[in-house]
Amino acid sequence: MEIASHITLAALGQQVLVGLSRTTILFIVSSGLSLILGVLRIPNISHGSLYMIGAFFTYSVASFVGGSAGFWVALVLAPIAVGLLSLLVERGIFCHLYEREHLMLLLFTFSLMLVLGDLVKLTYGSDYRSLAAPVMLQGSFSLGNLPFPRYNAFLLLVGPLVAFGLWFLTNKTKIGKIARAAAVDREMVAAMGINVSWVFAFVFCIGCLLAGLGGALVAPTQNITQGMDHAIVMECFLIVIIGGLGNMWGALLGALIFGLTSSIGILVWPQFAIVFPYVAVVIVLLLRPKGLLKSTW
Amino acid sequence: MKGKLWLILALTAALGLALGGAAMAKTIKIGMVDCYSGPPSTYTNDVRDAFKLYIKKVNAKGGVWGNKFEVLTRDSKFKVDLGLAAAKELIMREGVSALVGTINSGLALAISDLAQRENIPFFATFSKSAKISGAKGHRYVFQITENTAMIGKAAAAGLAKKPYIKYWIAGDDYEYGHAVADGVWQNLKKLKPEVKLLGQSWWKVGEPDFTPYITAILAAKPDAVIVATGGRDCVPFLKAAQATGFNKKVPFYMHTATELATLRPVGKGAPEGVMGTSNYHFYYPDSAANKAFAKEFQDAYGRIPTVGALYGYITAQLITGAYQKAKTMKGDKFVDAVEGMKVNTPVGTVELRAYDHQALLPMYLGTTKKSDKYDFLVADGIIDITPAEAAPDVNEIKKARGK
Repeated sequence: MEIASHITLAALGQQVLVGLSRTTILFIVSSGLSLILGVLRIPNISHGSLYMIGAFFTYSVASFVGGSAGFWVALVLAPIAVGLLSLLVERGIFCHLYEREHLMLLLFTFSLMLVLGDLVKLTYGSDYRSLAAPVMLQGSFSLGNLPFPRYNAFLLLVGPLVAFGLWFLTNKTKIGKIARAAAVDREMVAAMGINVSWVFAFVFCIGCLLAGLGGALVAPTQNITQGMDHAIVMECFLIVIIGGLGNMWGALLGALIFGLTSSIGILVWPQFAIVFPYVAVVIVLLLRPKGLLKSTW
Repeated sequence: MKGKLWLILALTAALGLALGGAAMAKTIKIGMVDCYSGPPSTYTNDVRDAFKLYIKKVNAKGGVWGNKFEVLTRDSKFKVDLGLAAAKELIMREGVSALVGTINSGLALAISDLAQRENIPFFATFSKSAKISGAKGHRYVFQITENTAMIGKAAAAGLAKKPYIKYWIAGDDYEYGHAVADGVWQNLKKLKPEVKLLGQSWWKVGEPDFTPYITAILAAKPDAVIVATGGRDCVPFLKAAQATGFNKKVPFYMHTATELATLRPVGKGAPEGVMGTSNYHFYYPDSAANKAFAKEFQDAYGRIPTVGALYGYITAQLITGAYQKAKTMKGDKFVDAVEGMKVNTPVGTVELRAYDHQALLPMYLGTTKKSDKYDFLVADGIIDITPAEAAPDVNEIKKARGK
């Protein structure tokens, strides 16, 4: 069935699936940003840098281990390493700044972004790094006579798993419930004898770990290079704004809107596809200035 | 006592002569402005290093006319304002005699304007805008790299020989992408009027994921695709092409697809059968001069030279050669000396055309193929495209300049 010239239903379906695989990455990174925004009230501009570091760590670990196994080991170790790095930053510096104004925190995370960028440059130099996907995820399979990359299919499986994991963590575990309570009223949680400072450290660590996981997942599909942090952090901020600041499910909704409008726009009007997700952001903000779901701010 | 006095006087005189001689010798400063941080440095570091390599050799032989060259570098960080400020600083404070750089076309055009005002020679080494030696060319600007007009002509000459009729164009949504795509398409239409354009896709520079672009193009079923993307986007594009099997379903041409700087990072994971054009391969031409150059560069820096190394080397050859001829770096005498100069390079004799100051380099159209010798793909089935085939002729330049 043909909709217009070369746009068939099969092509449209395939484009939706490709868009959903991009949505997975956007959701994973945005949900970390949203978690930190919602609980700690920190607009973490350095979130993209941690995503970049996640990709570089993945490259290092995968190269060290070698072969297809290298990627799987890196997929586990790199986000954990990013989480531990963020824990150091949180315990060393952030925990002394929570009572400061948002502007101060904003400036700090901006400075942190610059420092982390320079550290990456010092460690890895300015050349590109590239990592191959494991053999079983290379190539594509046929979907309605059109090729669909195996790696994108893998991402489609990872997205729901991460979403379920986050739901479980925040709704079914004690630490998750405490974190949600601390997001609403940190004084009340502290009055109950809970060490809010460590709760915050845990949440910050998980949020950054998600950024590292996003970086690890994109490593086989793109250049691992300085500057890869800039684009993603802007997109993620737009996603959490349209989803509702600090609302993790809002991040999922925002990522879906961003990823799908971008992907379908490329098929429908390829010459101007760049503007589609941004037009969607403008429309959402015109209709619901505070975002689609309830903002925690 | 008298003997000692004579000895002291003799030593003092010798020292005086030595110092006097040293004072007479000059240091000729050359300023290099380019992006040495971030992704473009993959290309620009080789320009700088090969330039310095040649200058070092000249200096080791005593310089030119007893005068030695000093190279000063400044990082533009790919920003026009920063790069232009650095170029001004090099002229005003450091007193450089010539400027060299840059990969950013916008910055190259801005420095070109400055060079014209200051009467200082500027050698554009990696910026591809055809305006540099074309419409906006002037007496003090020289373009060493191939430009978008030449890429367009060379690619069209190669594609016209293929049986493809229905094309799709896709590329970076900025000047380089549009100029390359337009150049290829306009020339291809002249050579093969029956070609048809099915559609176009344009993406932002630094696009992280090309998969949706490729799947959308495949749905349109073109015979071939012209991909006008450059720099940092080449690697992820090739990765997405490999993942989707794009190159196996539809042949595509991408200017820099066969360049080492693009292929080396992807390793064996790059797709085979992609058509690309380049001014240089370290393994082609298979000549003694090229082998010697590749070895010299590798011995000095521990890495294989990419196309940028050729540009840097030729630029140094031209500057030192013209100084040898003119005995000055200043004004019209130097420009007269460098205009029309021919130098022996790793790719053969290269002429800096007198009319438009464009270096006439050969181009090589090849197709990516795995190699047993290297852990990255190389260009296979290389077709030589001569400068006469690729470069716009003088009448076209006159037309572009409104003459």
